[in-house]
Amino acid sequence: MFQIFSRGPHGTERSPWQVTRSVWYAMFMREAISRTMTDRMGWFWMIAEPMIFTLIMVGIRGFIRGDRLIVGAEFIPWMIVGLMGFFVVREGMTRGLGAIEANQALFAYRQVQPVDSVLVRNFLEVMLRTLIFLLFIVGAMMLGMDLTPDKALYAMWDWFALWCLGLGLGLVVSVAGSLVPEVGKIVRMINMPLLILSGVIFPLNNLPHWLLEYVMYNPILHGLELLRASFFEGYKVVHGTSALYYWWWALGTMALGLLMHMRFRDRLKAK
Amino acid sequence: MIEIRNLYKRYHNHHGSPWVLKDINLSFPPGVSVGLVGRNGAGKSTLLRLIAGMDHPEKGSIERGCRVSWPIGLAGGFQGSMTGRQNVKFVARVHGGRNKEQEIIDRVQSFAEIGDAFDEPINTYSSGMRARLNFGLSLAFDFDVYLSDEATSVGDRSFKAKATKAFKDKVGQASLIMVSHGESILKDLCQAGVYLHDGQATWYDDVEGAIEAYHADTDGNVEDHPLGAPVRPQRLVEPGSLAQAREQLRQRRTELDNAKAMFADAKEQALKPNQRKHYEDALREAKQNAQDAKARFEAFKKDSNEGAL
Repeated sequence: MFQIFSRGPHGTERSPWQVTRSVWYAMFMREAISRTMTDRMGWFWMIAEPMIFTLIMVGIRGFIRGDRLIVGAEFIPWMIVGLMGFFVVREGMTRGLGAIEANQALFAYRQVQPVDSVLVRNFLEVMLRTLIFLLFIVGAMMLGMDLTPDKALYAMWDWFALWCLGLGLGLVVSVAGSLVPEVGKIVRMINMPLLILSGVIFPLNNLPHWLLEYVMYNPILHGLELLRASFFEGYKVVHGTSALYYWWWALGTMALGLLMHMRFRDRLKAK
Repeated sequence: MIEIRNLYKRYHNHHGSPWVLKDINLSFPPGVSVGLVGRNGAGKSTLLRLIAGMDHPEKGSIERGCRVSWPIGLAGGFQGSMTGRQNVKFVARVHGGRNKEQEIIDRVQSFAEIGDAFDEPINTYSSGMRARLNFGLSLAFDFDVYLSDEATSVGDRSFKAKATKAFKDKVGQASLIMVSHGESILKDLCQAGVYLHDGQATWYDDVEGAIEAYHADTDGNVEDHPLGAPVRPQRLVEPGSLAQAREQLRQRRTELDNAKAMFADAKEQALKPNQRKHYEDALREAKQNAQDAKARFEAFKKDSNEGAL
């Protein structure tokens, strides 16, 4: 009948990589369906919601005016790039929070590990965000706005870097949030302040130096500035932006997150 | 073949963490169905989860040299917000059956017989329907060992019959490790037994031995059996002669009378349903046994009559 098992006679076993791949495929389809089917017009809102949010933010900021002088970039494209990059990190983090709990029932199948649910969710999220970003770029092009990246390859790399940080934070937060529920609350609480502290809405160039020293500890800011530098030729990044510092964070959180997933695997499954 | 060596397991909770399973050494031979018995909280489900690979032991090892199913039962395995079909697809994909999804779906659908509910979210299912789906799903794959955690306890009569038949058809190709408080189904489906008590596991080559050990330990405790131990049938060998069959029939009838008297007593004293159930079960079994003994006796009588002619 079906020779489709990880363990079977006569060397018909699937390799661990094959098992993982089929788990990822199954979970990806599951996540995608539940994202699109649970709400009415799920497909539409999945794309419209972040777009509308971005447009509202741009609208408000355009209305307030002030602080609009950004060296080497136009204001509105500058802000859209920042918002998009920020969302990748933020969504990676917050989607990771609920991932394990939402898939609890599926750990009955030993092939499915808690880390799979976080990885798959994150991947789906980033793919969606990338699609939305592309839609924005195309839309801006048609409106005659300059949102096309000047250094496209660098921009893609920086986008990937933001994904890595989001994934790393998501991995850490998914374990911490499942073991200590308060973590989830704190993460949701710092969402808004992070929006400002990462220099998404207001350029941080004009901050006094003593304050900037502390603000620069935030790795998201580094990532966003690098992304903008790739988008706008001649853009002047906030003083102290460092790709090395950023990658320490991205790789560090990823390593820590994976370690935590290994260490607490049974606790996460048994919850 | 499943080998369990020096297995220790405990759960950390707020009041210390006592060992649930202590130094378990078992080996499940291939093709032998095994019933796990023990009191609530003895670690039966934990052992099953460990065998399934859902959980990992603190110490010791489990070797699964064969294809083992997930624990089929009430808890878990399905995402409540998704439909039965979507859940089946998920499990098929996880097990690598990407190109055979439709085949698996058809099989599950025909076994579960839940009709249009197959395309409704699992949340709307009754526990019996969930059990049907879970059971059908596991049978769609060819496992060497099926793990069942009270999988049949909520089903109706026809489902139980169907599930029992499905397993009997698999004899020779697959075996079963099951946790159940239904002793008749254990005796029906299992050959060997394991009795779990105080974190220790004892292997019995005969499932009735395990059930007897379980009874010997629990009978007479006031909580379960306030009227004393229910009538337990004696184990009798297959009768070899008319006289022996007659003797056995008489014995079974005495047992039946005792069980009847006890059940009447239980009813009179208005015991709690869960306590009364023990006596009711004993009565049912005694009835069955008396019927069987009678049939044997009649058969012998017929034989001897024919011989006389």
